[in-house]
Amino acid sequence: MASGHVIKRAKYKTSPKGAGTPGVLKMTENKIMFKPNDPTSASKIDVEFRSIKGYKNTKEGSNNPPLLNLSLEQGGSYIFEFENFLDLQVCREFVGNALTKSGDAAKAKSGDTAKAKSGEAVATSDRSTVTYPDEQLISSAEMELRIKLLRENSELQNLHKKFVLGNILTESEFWATRKKLLDGDSGTKSKQRVGFKSSMILDIKPMTDGRTNKVTFNLTPEIKYQIFALKPAVHRAFLNHVPNKMTEKDFWTKYFRAEYLHSTKNAVAAAAEAAEDEELAIFLKDDDILANAARQKIRRVDPTLDMEADQGDDYMHLPDHGIFRDGSKEITDSQHEQFKRTFLQDLNRQGEVVLEGRTIDVELEDPRTVAEALAQSRQESDENAKQERLDRISRMTEMEDLQAPHDHPLAPLCIKDPRDYFDSQLLKISDDTRAGSEQLRCSLSSEEAYGSLRGSISEIKAMGLSDPVVRPEVAVMVLNGLTQNISSTKFQLGKNAQESILNSLPNTTKEELLHHWISIQELLRHFWSSYPITTSYLYAKVSRVKDAMSKIYPQLEEIKESVPSDLRQQVFLLVRPMHQALDAAFQHYEADLQKRSAKSGEKPNGYV
Amino acid sequence: MVQFANVVVYSYQYLLDPKVAGYISKEMQKESVVVFDEAHNIDNVCIEALSVSVRRQTLEGARRNLNKMRQEIEKFKATDAGRLRAEYNRLVEGLAQRGNLPFTDNWLSNPALPDDILKEAVPGNIRRAEHFLHVLRRLVQYLEGRLETDNVEKEGPVGFVASINTHAGIDQKTLKFCYDRLHSLMLTLEITDTDEFLHIQTICDFATLVGTYTRGFSIIIEPFDERMPHIPDPVLQLSCHDASLAIKPVFDRFQSVVITSGTLSPIDLYPRLLNFHPVVSRSFTMSLTRDCICPMVLTRGSDQLPVSTKFDMRSDLGVVRNYGRLLLEMASVVPDGIVCFFVSYSYMDGIVNSWNENGILKEIMQHKLVFIETQDVVETTLALDNYRKACDCGRGAIFFSVARGKVAEGIDFDRHYGRLVIMFGVPFQYTLSKILLARLEYLRDTFQIKEGDFLTFDALRQAAQCVGRVIRSKADYGMMIFADKRYSRHDKRSKLPGWILSHLRDAHLNLSTDMALHIAREFLRKMAQPYDRAGGSGRKTLLSQEDVEKMGDGILNEMQY
Repeated sequence: MASGHVIKRAKYKTSPKGAGTPGVLKMTENKIMFKPNDPTSASKIDVEFRSIKGYKNTKEGSNNPPLLNLSLEQGGSYIFEFENFLDLQVCREFVGNALTKSGDAAKAKSGDTAKAKSGEAVATSDRSTVTYPDEQLISSAEMELRIKLLRENSELQNLHKKFVLGNILTESEFWATRKKLLDGDSGTKSKQRVGFKSSMILDIKPMTDGRTNKVTFNLTPEIKYQIFALKPAVHRAFLNHVPNKMTEKDFWTKYFRAEYLHSTKNAVAAAAEAAEDEELAIFLKDDDILANAARQKIRRVDPTLDMEADQGDDYMHLPDHGIFRDGSKEITDSQHEQFKRTFLQDLNRQGEVVLEGRTIDVELEDPRTVAEALAQSRQESDENAKQERLDRISRMTEMEDLQAPHDHPLAPLCIKDPRDYFDSQLLKISDDTRAGSEQLRCSLSSEEAYGSLRGSISEIKAMGLSDPVVRPEVAVMVLNGLTQNISSTKFQLGKNAQESILNSLPNTTKEELLHHWISIQELLRHFWSSYPITTSYLYAKVSRVKDAMSKIYPQLEEIKESVPSDLRQQVFLLVRPMHQALDAAFQHYEADLQKRSAKSGEKPNGYV
Repeated sequence: MVQFANVVVYSYQYLLDPKVAGYISKEMQKESVVVFDEAHNIDNVCIEALSVSVRRQTLEGARRNLNKMRQEIEKFKATDAGRLRAEYNRLVEGLAQRGNLPFTDNWLSNPALPDDILKEAVPGNIRRAEHFLHVLRRLVQYLEGRLETDNVEKEGPVGFVASINTHAGIDQKTLKFCYDRLHSLMLTLEITDTDEFLHIQTICDFATLVGTYTRGFSIIIEPFDERMPHIPDPVLQLSCHDASLAIKPVFDRFQSVVITSGTLSPIDLYPRLLNFHPVVSRSFTMSLTRDCICPMVLTRGSDQLPVSTKFDMRSDLGVVRNYGRLLLEMASVVPDGIVCFFVSYSYMDGIVNSWNENGILKEIMQHKLVFIETQDVVETTLALDNYRKACDCGRGAIFFSVARGKVAEGIDFDRHYGRLVIMFGVPFQYTLSKILLARLEYLRDTFQIKEGDFLTFDALRQAAQCVGRVIRSKADYGMMIFADKRYSRHDKRSKLPGWILSHLRDAHLNLSTDMALHIAREFLRKMAQPYDRAGGSGRKTLLSQEDVEKMGDGILNEMQY
C-alpha cells in the first residue's frame, strides 16, 4: 500500500442480503468513491471519511461473503461485497487507518473547525490534480506522536496550521523536515533503567515496639531484589527452598533472624544458632558463591591493581618470617571467623552491586520470578571483559604529561573567568547590531561632550592651570562622551544579556516579527530543499511555497510601515535579513524558471 | 640469566635477605649500580629481613619436618649410604665446596653472613646427618620450653646463646652453622619441596642469626598480644634493631648504591639509620608547570573544635563527627575519586561503624560509592577495581585505606582516581609494642636518635607516602588534607618532603572544615581548566634534551658553589 489510495472491484449493497450493484470502489486518504459499472445507475457514492463513524466486516472462514459495512454518522450504512477476502482485508486496513487519521485530525483541529473544513475541501480538490508519490500511510502510533508534538509545542502548531492546513505544504512534507523530532521522541520512549541507589539496603533497620522483644522488618519487593543481588547465597537458598521446603514468609523470617544475630555482633551466639539450624547457617556463613566469583574476577582486574599477584614478591607473607608483632600489623580474632562477616565487606559488596546496576527487567512483585530472572542474568558471561581489561591497561600505562599534545579540531572551552567568555560572545553579537544601537543609547551627545571640553579649555585659558587641571568629573564625562562609539555596545549590551532590540519593540510587533521569521525559515527550508527540481511534484511544491512567501513579503513591509518612527530603524534592521533571504529565493526561482523554459520551450504551467 | 641482562628489576629481598641473596644476586658484578627505588621504608625492610618469629605452630611444624627427615635419612642409609658419606667428606673439607653449587668469589655469595663463617669448616658434631638432627631436636625442645612462659621476657643474643648452651648443650658455633648445614642436608636428601620444610628452615634461620650476631638484636617472648590479653598466643621473636646490618654487605660489595624515593625526608636521617656516608645527597624539587598540588592542614572541624587521632581524643564522638562532616562536605564538592587514609585497621573499622550508626555514612553514600581496604588481599583488589570503575563511569567513589597498608605502598590514585586524599590523623606506630620499644632504645643508644624524633619521622614518612599517591604526572592535580591538629606543629610538619612543603602555604596551616572547603572549590575550578602543555611561563611539561642539559648545568654550578 505504497500509494495513498486503493481501488477494488466491489458490489455496493444497501442490505447484506441484496444483490448489489457491481462497480469500482476507490478510496483515497479522505474520501470513498464508488462508481457503478453501469453509469446510469443511481447508486453512485462520494463521501468523505469524516462522515463515517465506523466499520464492520465479515470474518474469513465464515459462511458469509466478504462484506465491509461502513456506518455513517448521520445513520445508515454502505455495504460493499468484495470478490475475495484478500481485497476485503486490504480495504479494511485502509479504512481503519483513514478513520483513525481523520479522527485525529478532527481532534487536532478542534477550535477552528470551520477553517479546517475549508482547508480540507481545498486539499481534496488539490489532490485530484496532483499525485503525491511520497505520500505514505503512516501508522496510527506515529500519528499520535505527531499530534502530541503539536499539542505540546504551540509554535509548531501554529506553523502546522498555517502551512499544512493552509495547503502550502502537505502533511508528510511538513514532518519530513522534522524527522529528528519524531525519532528523538520515540527514542525517549524506551524508558531508562533506573540503577540502584548508592545506599541500598543499608537502611533496613528493624523496628521495635519497645514493650515486647518483637522486632519488625519491613520488606518491599525492591528490597527483596536488592538482597538477592547482594547475597548470592541467599538467592540460591531461596531458589532451592521456596516454596518446596518452606514458605516465603518463613524464608524471610529466617533470613532476618540471621541478620539480627549478625547485627548484635555476637559471633559466638551466631555460631551456636547456626549449629542448630542448618538453613540459618546459610545466611550466617560467608558466601561461598561470592568467594568463587572473587577468584574469577581477580583474574580480570587491572594488573596495576592486582595486589594478590604481588604477594609473592614480598616474602614477608611467609609464616614466621619478619616481625610478627611489632604494632604496625593488625591482629584479628581468628575464632568464629566464618561467622564474622564485617560491615566493611558488606560495604564493598554493595558498591560492587551498585556498579553492576540492575541486570534484570521484570516486575518486582513476585520474588520467585525475580529470583529466577536474576539467576538467568548471572549466567550470561561477559565476553568483552578481556578486551576491556586490555583497554584499561593501555589507559593506565599512558603518562599524560609525556604524551604529545593532542590536536583537537575544536578549541577547548576555557572559562578561567566566566566574564571573559560571555564578554567575547557579546562583542561578536554586538558587531552586527552596533550600527543600530549606538545612536540611541548615547546618553551624552558628542556636541555636549565637545562643548564641555571647550568650556573647560576656555576656563583654563582664563584662569590658568589649576590643580587639578581638569575636574575629575568633567574628565570622566569627556572621556565617556568621546569614546561612546567604542564603549557603548560594551556598556549597554555587555551589562544585560536579556536586553535586545526586540524587547524595545511593542509586543504585537515583536510577536508578528518572530512569527514571520519562523514562517520564512520553514518555507525557505522547503524551498531550497526542493532544488534541483526533478519531478513535477517538486515543481508544484516550489510554486506553492513561492506563492506563500510572496504573500509574507508585503506583510513585512506593512509591519515596517506601521511601527512608530523612532523604532523604524531597528525594525528595518530586523526585517532586512528576512527580505534579503526572500529576495534570494525569488531570484533563484525566476532564474530557474527562465532556464527551464528556455531549455524545453514548454510552458511550465501546463506541467502536470 | 642474570649475567646476560643489562638491567635487572627485582624486589629488595633478593639483595637484602641473606637467604635469598646467596642464590639470586651472587653473579652481580662489583661495578653494578644498585638502585633502591621507593626506599623510604628501606630500614624496615632490612630489619624484617633479619627478623624471625617463632610460634607454637612453627615448632610443631619443625618437629614434623625433623621426623620426615629422619625417615629420609634411614631410607638413604639403606639404599644409598654412599651419598651421606660423600656429604660428610665434603663438609670436612669445608663449606666452600658444599653441594653442587659451583662458584668463584664465594664470600660474595652470602652477603649477610660474616666472612669467617664461610672460611671455617662445619663443626664436627653436626657433620653427620643424624647428629645434626639431634641437635635440632634439642633446639626445638628448648624453644618450646621458652615459649611456655606467663611473662614477657626480653633478652640479648649473647645471654640467649649462653642459656641454650647450658640447657640444650648447643654452643654458639654450632648454632651459627645450622642454616648452611640444613641446606646441605636438604640437597643431599634431594628434598625439592622446600615449602613443606619451611618450619625447620625458620628454626635454622633463627639459630644462625642468634649464633652470628652479638648486638643489634633482641629476643622477645610474649605470651599474648597486649591488645588482646585474653587470647593466649605465645610468640618468640628475634627482632633486628639495626637496619645497617642487612644493607652493609650491599654497600661493601657494590661500587655505587643509590637510595631514592619521593618521600625520603628528612634526608639526613637515612645515613644514620643505615650507617653509611653518602657521597652525594640531594633533594630535588619538582618541575611543575602549575601549582597542581594543594596540601592543607586541617586542625578544626566545622564546629571549630580541634580534631586529632591522639589517643585521648580518637574515640571522642565530636572528633568522629567532625571527621565525618569533613568527608561529607568534601564528597559533595570534589569530583570523581577521593582517597581516605586512616591510622590503623581497627581505627578505620571503628570510625566507619560509628559513621554508619549516626547516619553520616548514608549521607556520604548519596554523593559517592564507598569502597574499603580490608586485610583480605583479594577483597581489597576487587574493591580497588570497582573503585576505579566507579571513577571511570562518573559515579565517583571514596576509597578507605590504611596508612602502612598495601594500598598506601603500591597503588596509584592519579588523575580522576584521586582528586583529593585525606589523611585522618598522624599514623604513629603502636608505641606500646615491645619490639618497637626495644628498637627505639637501641637507636638511642647506638645512633643517638631520640625516640620522639624517630617516631615522628616514621609517622610523617607514612603520611607523605599516603598523600603522595594522588599525583603522578605534571598534568595531574590533586589536593591533600592532613586532618589532625598535630600537623600544624613545626616539628611534625617540617618532616614532610620538600615537594609538599613548598606548596603548603602558611595560610593553609590551620584550617577548619569550611575554610578547607572554600579552598578546595577554588583550587578545583582553577585546575579543571585545559592544561597548557607548552607552558606559558617558560616552564615546559615535556623537556627536550637541550632543556635538561641546561638544567644540568645549573645544578652543577649550584653544587660547585
